[in-house]
Amino acid sequence: MRIVPFPQRNGQELDGPVAELEAALTGDRHGPVADSWRELRSDVRALAPPMSAEFERELRERIEERAATPPRPRGVRSPTRSASAHAHARAWLGSGLRPRLLAGSGMCVAAAIVTLVVIAPWRASIQTTGGTAKDAVGARRAAGALGTSGGVFEQVAPSVKRATAAPSGADAGLSPTSPAAPTAESARARMQQRAASITLVATPEALQSVADRVARLAVREGGYVQSSQVHLQHGAAGEANLDLNLPSARLSAALASLAQLAPTRAESQSLQDITDEYSAARTKLADAFAERQALLRALARASTQGQIESLHARLALAGGAITRARTALQSVSKRGSSSAVEVTVLGAAHASGGGLTLGKGLHDVGDVLTVALVVLIIALAVLVPLAILVALLVSAWRVARRYARERALS
Amino acid sequence: MSPRLSLTEQRVAVAEPQSGALDQPAFESLFRECAADVHGYAISLLGDRAAAEDVTALAFERLYRSRARLDRSRGTPRGWLFSIARNAALDELRRRRRQPLPGAEQQLSPDAELDEAIEHTERRASLRAALLALPLREREVVLLKFHGQLTNGELARVLGISESNAGTRLNRALMRLREICTELGRKEVA
Repeated sequence: MRIVPFPQRNGQELDGPVAELEAALTGDRHGPVADSWRELRSDVRALAPPMSAEFERELRERIEERAATPPRPRGVRSPTRSASAHAHARAWLGSGLRPRLLAGSGMCVAAAIVTLVVIAPWRASIQTTGGTAKDAVGARRAAGALGTSGGVFEQVAPSVKRATAAPSGADAGLSPTSPAAPTAESARARMQQRAASITLVATPEALQSVADRVARLAVREGGYVQSSQVHLQHGAAGEANLDLNLPSARLSAALASLAQLAPTRAESQSLQDITDEYSAARTKLADAFAERQALLRALARASTQGQIESLHARLALAGGAITRARTALQSVSKRGSSSAVEVTVLGAAHASGGGLTLGKGLHDVGDVLTVALVVLIIALAVLVPLAILVALLVSAWRVARRYARERALS
Repeated sequence: MSPRLSLTEQRVAVAEPQSGALDQPAFESLFRECAADVHGYAISLLGDRAAAEDVTALAFERLYRSRARLDRSRGTPRGWLFSIARNAALDELRRRRRQPLPGAEQQLSPDAELDEAIEHTERRASLRAALLALPLREREVVLLKFHGQLTNGELARVLGISESNAGTRLNRALMRLREICTELGRKEVA
């Protein structure tokens, strides 16, 4: 065995051979040192047995075959590929690439969790809002189609209807117009208190006129104006606020009519279930009646003056209780049969009563662009975290794979 | 077997394409010039002809599939090819936990050895022993440098480290190789 002649200069070994090596291998340097490096390279390369001619020919044929095959259009699977898909999958799983499957599965699970966490509340709110708007439109259409017949107590249980004897009338679109309205089946047996608010926009000149028409509309729909405030100021926008009390049965139709008076900027409705309160008042009244009947029967059987006087006193008390219970029941019934509507009319210079104008068109364009921007932001809010998460997972997987490969050298 | 170009010719030929994806002629040129190098690197690292052929075929297969995505600003086709070959070889090592080189030692052609001068034969035997004694991580750097004929920049990209780190690792590996060779020589003299 001979000593490998490592490059030396004047008998001294080189301390930093990399630069010398680089220059020698690229042919930039000549001389004995460079020759030694080149000789070392040749020796190292000569240690490896040459590629067999058979393998080289086979590899070349594969390359040429590849080159001769035209690229397959995306999405088109060849029959052989389809037939051997299972074999490929098994090979893929069995070739030490299981981490890919695990990483892929992990990414899918993480993406699903993030999607659920991020999207679910958003979807819920959209559904509620969308449902409200859709139902409001549907209610207006129904109100327009069915006319003015109907009342809120069509939706109340028969027993409730008998007890209250309130004004009846059906409005098929009543319940669905309310936000978060219960299903039709459940609403049929419930007593509901409803309220609404609507904001209209009118020109400052038409502000008073619109407010007057709102008041007239309230009367025409069977309600009344509880309070109203109209602020008019020369050169300023102005504002009118009207609190209306309308029959619940006419609420949808009234809102539809209000929306026709001037362009609507905002509209909201609320609903509160008062069935329990109503049932309690009704039970209290029934109990008071039952007590009075019992006292009357006891009075008929009374034989002494003392008993008679005591029963009379108790009957008087029972009468008072009946009156109070009836009043409470009527109050609850009234809350169910009427709705408070808050109407705000804003004076705005650019508002117009209707028709298609350039300004209105530009305003609509602005609204559409705003909505599109909001949708885009929401989409980005969902997609960006997902993309970051996926990128992090991919990076982590790559680092882990690289680490595993480097460990093979340890 | 294709005629081998001289090392300088190979470097010049491979460095020619400077922009765009790796088209078919360029790929075939790369195959002609680098197939033997990739095979030599793989068989030196893995010590198994069959595994080396698998790695070589896999490297060209993968390079062919990804030739449209080749970004020359991130490295030369040769560097790209050796990155793929290195990954495949490390996967193979990881999978089989094979010890490289002992197998290659058995597979060296005795006829070829006999044709060499005795001095060369003995020197290469010493070098083989020194390489075997070198830790695998350092041996891999030496093999990449000499078989891949990579510049330090290309070597750094293949190893996934900075160029200065690559230079340091190569320097350390060469120093260690020299120490082992010296030690082996002293033992021989003694």
